[in-house]
Amino acid sequence: MTMRCVAIRLKIPDNQAYTALTTLQRLNLEVARVDRAEIWVLNDAGEAADFLARVERNETLFNPNKHVLHVLEERVPREGEVWIEEMDQDDGDDLRRLGRPVAGVIGGKRYIGWRLFDDGGAAPRTTVMQAVEQLLCNPAIERAIIR
Amino acid sequence: MLSRPPSSRTLRSFRVNGLDDVELAQAAARAGLALRVDELRRIAAQLGRDPTIVEVHAFDAQWSEHCSYKSSRHHLRKLPTEGPTVMQGPAEDAGILHLGEWNGERYGVVIAHESHNHPSQVVPYEGAATGVGGIVRDVLCMGAEVIALADPLRFGRVEDSQSHARYVAQGAVDGISAYGNAIGVPNIAGDVYFDERFDDNCLVNVVALGILKENEIIHSAAPPGAAGWDIVLVGKATDRSGFGGAAFSSVTLDEADEEANKGAVQVPDPFLKNVIMRATYAVFRFLRENNVTAGFKDLGAGGIMGCTAELCSSGGYGAIVDLDDVNTAVDDLPPEVIAVGETQERLCWILPGEVTAAVLSIYNQEFSLPAIAHRACATVIGAVQNEKRYVLRFGSEIVMDVPIDLLTGTIRDELPVRPMSERKVTDPARRYVVASESVPTLLPKVFSHRDVCSREPLYVRYDGVVRGTTVIPRGHSGAGVIAPVPGCPLGVALGVAGNPRFGKVDPFLAAQYAVLCAVQKVAAVGARPLGLTDCLNFGNPQNIGHYSEFVHAIDGLSIAARALGTPYVSGNVSLYNESSAGNAIPASPIVACAGALDDVAAVVTGGFKRPGSALFLVGAPQNAAGGAVFAELLDQTGGPLPPIDFEAVNAELAFLRAAADARLILAARAIGEGGVLAATCMMAFGSMEQFAIGAQLTDPQDWTGGVVGELEAYFGEWGGFVVETAQPDVLQRIAGKGVRLTQIGRTLAERSLRLHDAWFDLRDLAVAWRSPLAQVYP
Amino acid sequence: MIPKVAVVVFPGTNSETETVRICRDVGLDAQALHWTHASRIPEFDAYVLPGGFAYEDRIRAGAVPAHDPLMDYVIDAAERGKLILGICNGAQILLEAGLVPGTGAVRRPTAAFTYNGPVPHFVCRHVYLKLAVDPQRSPITAALPADALFPAWAAHGQGRLAASDEHLREIEQGAHLAFVYAHADGRVDDAAVPNASALRCAGLVNRQGNVLAIMPHPERDAWNYNHPDRRESEDMLAPSGGVRIFAAFAKALFST
Repeated sequence: MTMRCVAIRLKIPDNQAYTALTTLQRLNLEVARVDRAEIWVLNDAGEAADFLARVERNETLFNPNKHVLHVLEERVPREGEVWIEEMDQDDGDDLRRLGRPVAGVIGGKRYIGWRLFDDGGAAPRTTVMQAVEQLLCNPAIERAIIR
Repeated sequence: MLSRPPSSRTLRSFRVNGLDDVELAQAAARAGLALRVDELRRIAAQLGRDPTIVEVHAFDAQWSEHCSYKSSRHHLRKLPTEGPTVMQGPAEDAGILHLGEWNGERYGVVIAHESHNHPSQVVPYEGAATGVGGIVRDVLCMGAEVIALADPLRFGRVEDSQSHARYVAQGAVDGISAYGNAIGVPNIAGDVYFDERFDDNCLVNVVALGILKENEIIHSAAPPGAAGWDIVLVGKATDRSGFGGAAFSSVTLDEADEEANKGAVQVPDPFLKNVIMRATYAVFRFLRENNVTAGFKDLGAGGIMGCTAELCSSGGYGAIVDLDDVNTAVDDLPPEVIAVGETQERLCWILPGEVTAAVLSIYNQEFSLPAIAHRACATVIGAVQNEKRYVLRFGSEIVMDVPIDLLTGTIRDELPVRPMSERKVTDPARRYVVASESVPTLLPKVFSHRDVCSREPLYVRYDGVVRGTTVIPRGHSGAGVIAPVPGCPLGVALGVAGNPRFGKVDPFLAAQYAVLCAVQKVAAVGARPLGLTDCLNFGNPQNIGHYSEFVHAIDGLSIAARALGTPYVSGNVSLYNESSAGNAIPASPIVACAGALDDVAAVVTGGFKRPGSALFLVGAPQNAAGGAVFAELLDQTGGPLPPIDFEAVNAELAFLRAAADARLILAARAIGEGGVLAATCMMAFGSMEQFAIGAQLTDPQDWTGGVVGELEAYFGEWGGFVVETAQPDVLQRIAGKGVRLTQIGRTLAERSLRLHDAWFDLRDLAVAWRSPLAQVYP
Repeated sequence: MIPKVAVVVFPGTNSETETVRICRDVGLDAQALHWTHASRIPEFDAYVLPGGFAYEDRIRAGAVPAHDPLMDYVIDAAERGKLILGICNGAQILLEAGLVPGTGAVRRPTAAFTYNGPVPHFVCRHVYLKLAVDPQRSPITAALPADALFPAWAAHGQGRLAASDEHLREIEQGAHLAFVYAHADGRVDDAAVPNASALRCAGLVNRQGNVLAIMPHPERDAWNYNHPDRRESEDMLAPSGGVRIFAAFAKALFST
């Protein structure tokens, strides 16, 4: 059993990221760009060699016509990034709720990754914290993970 | 000066002259063009020079099947398009049917039908969502408020949870749901069928309805006197998405090409559309208050070029458009992408200059489009001109300058067709189904069949009640009903039909059944059928077999519509529906029927109302079981489809309406997949929550005179209605000659279905009926 | 004086027309007020936040509109005791704005209407709403009988009440649980709940009682034609059913 972590982004325009950007700017945060990704931490019983092929075959997680996929070496947010997870689901298996299994994968947890940039590159931690507190996370149901 | 020929010194042209056919075909393929060699040569000959890159892409879009209907238009002429209910026939983006009069105003129902099959196969969520977006614009641009949606869907085998077909079936429904719900238009009708021949090529059709007063119609043409008027583009910033879309939908899907086709992914933005729709309603009010006539059209295939060229040429004008004035999402777009790319959520106005500023202000300030989506806005991009040329400027250059009628004029492909007499005829010896199973074992199988079982797990994801106008939401009858005008008793009914199992047996009769069933669904709710819109989904027209199916289906659509007096006011053609292996989809003529209720108080719903009332069959059972679900379950497919007696059908439709108007009908349902028993049980299920009413049916020998087999009588799909009435004597008295009316049973104060030799607990049947699709749509 | 009600329209709202209509049918002077006219908010006596998908539910349902400048005015009006009714997306916005249940700070939500359970997809289902507090708990419900029951449509993808155990206890103990889902006969059980909402919650009220958030749409089952099988009178165009909550809202406004 191996934990494998992938980040999946839209390669077509991401309307949610656009709205997050404009809203954060309206809240007077210094943000010049917002990237959004679905981060999946998958509990894989299969082989590493065909892992990506199996994820691709699922299609719902990753459709190459509209997504790009990166395998993440570290299961932690990068600089300027926050991962938002839902807290209130009992079993924590978001893949099962998706209703479409990935061959060889036992279960998976989903995070929404928001990465903020200012004019100088990845946004500082204070900016990310403000964005989390004011917009990106509802503490009643979500938890934010920041590096 | 403006219409000087493009300078070949400074512009890249697409070389036609001097290349042989093989070289030219290769060059076209390299450029991603779907134009054929003969078409390219015709363009070069007409222009007297090689076309520019922009021009060749413009013709590629305009002369695609999608835009030009080059292999279908001459056959579509056979369809009836006139009649007393027609307010506007099929000349523009949508047709209009006369709904009725109220408070001295004539109300029209706008109706349009579109397919988004190929995009939905590749990116189902975006493909289906943009299909909804497109059809909504078609209705909106007639000057109407958009009031309802319906979605006929055809998917492949969804049983395997890992299959692409299942991904498509789920993603397309989610896309329709996300888009339709967000813009706030109720989804009130639709159907879905599953067949392995849709594995590689799903069908996602969408129907939209609008409402307007007759004097509010806006035409998709530059109005008289429009020379010099502004061409105003509204909506999303133009980007790379959807470049090559028109040609894409006219090319057979090939798995290996999916990656190459990704430029054709169209990105929906229902949030922006929601705001554009509301802003456009405000513009309608402004133009009416100021007595301004304008032209309005949505951007679809062919993008800015296709829309502006058609707007201006249909008014008898030319156009000059400055591509530098187009709001683009990125700064480095080549002119051919700006000109013909199919970015979603865009519309185009032709406006007299004196109102332009006010209209721009409604979009850009009052409804703040630039704050809604990146670089979205309304902006002037060109002008109508008297000279009938279509001119595009980009940078300091003229990148396109062609006679506008060459671009938008009719082109025609003559393709070989087999005569009707040579169409496949089913062996009449296979007429009778051998009863290899008893009714008690067959009934639950029929109910849990993928094409009979409850659609609720699917349509529960669609908002069916937004706007507060819904009278009959989905699942309560074969057709949906709304009361679209506040305070007005007029009702609108909408039903769709097109059984692919019938299409496999005989496209000619299947097309007739599509019309018949759509009309019957509308009649069953007590509405008067007004007219039709069709979407013709077929295989590759270059294949004589597939093309012949298409042509024969049009004959069938024509015969049935003429017989029933229901004209077509709009429609759509989708060809090249097949997998790369060349397997075409089942012939799929899909028809939507709009109906009118003069008073929604006369509406008939589909659930039983009272125990002890009489159940009647309207229509005559037949032995033919071709295309029927029960025959498929018995592995006895291929029999002929039941013939249709249109004279009798007309008598029955008139009778039903008279009975509904006289409030004699408590409940009614058109008989479809699963036959009389399915219709009867759905009426019982419809009453279960509130009334818990079951049914007892007599021996079918009694109601068929013994000439029809028991299985055919119970499960045959030969049309007709099941009707509940508390006044059987009155009902029988008003049934005139020619109406085949037979009492088949009565309703019971218990949750059971009692047949002459069997008894079923309706709760068990309901489980069989409700569970199958919940696997696919949990 | 006829009370003036603003039906507040954010970009993405989709239920303003029928909401204005039902408010007018109960005698109120209602009009749709667009986001670009936010500064007119103080002119009105009360506010309805209608259904829809403000900002397309991006990030979370209600999250972005809760930060819209328009909400500054609504929050101010709420603090000054004006009546505010949020329906569906309007309810989600009120929760994200922290006005309901109002047990935390402004714009620091203590609960959410979030993704439906057990499967997180949109559901359009006919439901019944049952009043779960003393009618006098809120001026908006004061004219309703105890245990009032009326029909509505659930039509949402994010309507499940979720919060920490502690905040759920606050909701119960503070009598914030204004409405629960019920069957047509008034029975309350899990089968009546379309979205696995905690506490079977269909509506919440704030501490002062002037802000009410209800998740399903009573305005979509508010005229006889909306329920042709349950005609309450022969006039198909007459208001009925879900109109009762709006009639109570109007009564509260006329009596102040």
